[in-house]
Amino acid sequence: MGKKRLISGVVATAEAVRLADVDVITSFPIRPYTGIMSELARMVADGELDAEFIHADGEHAQLSIVYGASAAGARTFTGSSGVGVTYAMEVYSPISGARLPVHMAIADRTLDPPGDFGSEHTEAESCRDQCWIQGWAATPQEALDLTLLYYRIGEDPRVLLPQYACQDGYFVSHIAGEVEIPDEGQVKEFLPPYKNKHSLNISDPMIIGAQIEPEMGPPLQYQRYIAIQEARKVIAEAYKEFGEIFGRKYSPFVEEYMTDDAEVVIFIQGAHSVTARNVALKLRNHGEKVGVVQLRTLRPFPTEIVRDVLSRFKAVGAVDNSVNYGIAGDGGVLLSEARTALYGLGDKTKTVGFVGGLGGEVITMEEFYKMYAKLKEIAKTGKVERDSYWLPYEL
Amino acid sequence: MLETIKTLRDMPKEEYYVPGHRTCAGCGPALVYRLVAKAAGPNTIFVGPTGCMYVANTSYGCGPWAVPWIHAQITNGGGVASGIEAAYKAMMRKGKYTGERPHAIVMAGDGGSTDIGLQALSGMIYRGHDVLYICYDNESYANTGIQTSPTTPWGAVTTFTPSGPAVPEGKRLWPKDNAQMIAHGHPELKYLATASPAFPVDLFNKVRKGLNAEGPAYLHIQAPCPKGWQFPSNKTIEMAKLALDTGMFQLYELEDGKYKMSYMPKERKPVDEFLKLQGRFKHLKPEHIEKIQNFVDQKVKAIEIEIAALS
Repeated sequence: MGKKRLISGVVATAEAVRLADVDVITSFPIRPYTGIMSELARMVADGELDAEFIHADGEHAQLSIVYGASAAGARTFTGSSGVGVTYAMEVYSPISGARLPVHMAIADRTLDPPGDFGSEHTEAESCRDQCWIQGWAATPQEALDLTLLYYRIGEDPRVLLPQYACQDGYFVSHIAGEVEIPDEGQVKEFLPPYKNKHSLNISDPMIIGAQIEPEMGPPLQYQRYIAIQEARKVIAEAYKEFGEIFGRKYSPFVEEYMTDDAEVVIFIQGAHSVTARNVALKLRNHGEKVGVVQLRTLRPFPTEIVRDVLSRFKAVGAVDNSVNYGIAGDGGVLLSEARTALYGLGDKTKTVGFVGGLGGEVITMEEFYKMYAKLKEIAKTGKVERDSYWLPYEL
Repeated sequence: MLETIKTLRDMPKEEYYVPGHRTCAGCGPALVYRLVAKAAGPNTIFVGPTGCMYVANTSYGCGPWAVPWIHAQITNGGGVASGIEAAYKAMMRKGKYTGERPHAIVMAGDGGSTDIGLQALSGMIYRGHDVLYICYDNESYANTGIQTSPTTPWGAVTTFTPSGPAVPEGKRLWPKDNAQMIAHGHPELKYLATASPAFPVDLFNKVRKGLNAEGPAYLHIQAPCPKGWQFPSNKTIEMAKLALDTGMFQLYELEDGKYKMSYMPKERKPVDEFLKLQGRFKHLKPEHIEKIQNFVDQKVKAIEIEIAALS
């Protein structure tokens, strides 16, 4: 059994990186993820972690460095926030294309403008289709656990894909929560050493990333397409074994809260799901049949599970903490994905989008009460007046 | 330690850049690459940012490499090589790798070294990574069809700097001097040189000196391009030699804080002898050629003064 500490998401993430015995770390400062790197720099300086710590010349350089280091056979760590995440965009596809299990922590921040420090999922979601495993932690404990889980999943020889382990800026990254730090022995049991037989090794020379003819592109892309689909199986396995070794059992794809006889649910990911749960609990005490469905893995999207779960309810409100200008339904990624998952089942389950918490604002309990009231109305009348509501202006 | 050599006969017979590439006939960068790979030997990992030596040279299923090779974006050769070097350092310290530490060499074009990849190069040298970074300078973005780069000479025609009635001279900017930029302001730099395929033994030895240096090294190698410069494909070495004899390009090295000229023509030829053999300059008028001559005179003087002061 590990020991319990009261720490923030960034410190919890750094603890996981230390436990994973990472070889190459590369940093560049941008709030709020910076705290992870400060903590890792301290660990390296104090001799608690033996790793090369490289101060990169930007986020694009960070991702370039871990691309090279991972190809050479090292376990790597990097991270960013906000515009830093989008600045590195060029390098995400080469990393997944070379099947390198690079690990990147993202502590969310708005893009510019507005350029405030607040948290939004926009930057991380804008990278969602680069063939990286991606999901959100809702608490500091989940941030630590997600880091270990993603190293294990990404480095599995059946997967070999990079991972974005996301946490909401400030709400998770900078608010302390109780975190159980596992023993090194437990981590060793769960996370075997990184071995990739496709690496830069002089005893077995190979070309990584050759230039290809147009007709050779589709087969390579098809392999990635299959790889991320197959990852679903490995994700489920890894979460199961994680529960057995560490004693914390998560549902790998969607976490249901008070949904047994629920008529309406909020569909949400990340830290605001904690507020949603509190509101659901209060409404339950007043006899309302409401629940929360928390999405844990955005990529690969658990289409069938989301379909099976959400189709049990009369109305689903997808809460998006991101801006997706001009998207179908004028909501966000979660609304679109939920509707796609439900497509073909008829009109039994009504869906509506709520865009909230922009600029790092709290999605208040009052706002969740309003969302549940709207969902109740939709469930009762069977009518969806509009696809989405942008909070607080439109609801 | 890799030994330096005295004559061409001392070069090893083994090739690590083997048949399989699809570059143009007379390709300067391909000739350079063969010499670099020969000098570096089997204990080498190459990083190849996007450019001619990727697009025309590293085709899936028929790459010319007998040593490990990894693609980098045109932007990030320095970054990718930094990661490889750091990975081996960490893995060896932690007992995760027990073999000999491989050399890391970046072979980047002039665009990837002096323009879009300059930050990655500067960052790599600033941080002290033990990598040899080589710019094979063919003086344009060539694989995209000859567009101007920062090292394209003033007055050269490219598809982005055509000559026309309103812009008779073609390119209107003076070229960036990357070797001088890297030499000044990177305290971790351990070795720097310019080289040319006109002097293969000198080039070979500079590669080895760069690899022997314990820390970052930079080589800037001029690599004539028959397609971009518009000269017959059997004249590559002649062009390289003429560039040196006219002062359009100069050979020197910077070692232990001291500059040394590697080649000084007994009598410098007028730049016109270099320009007139190339289609990219054929539109130039005498006043344009005079401008280039003045620029070259000043540049040669500046380098020679610097070398006198620092040697």
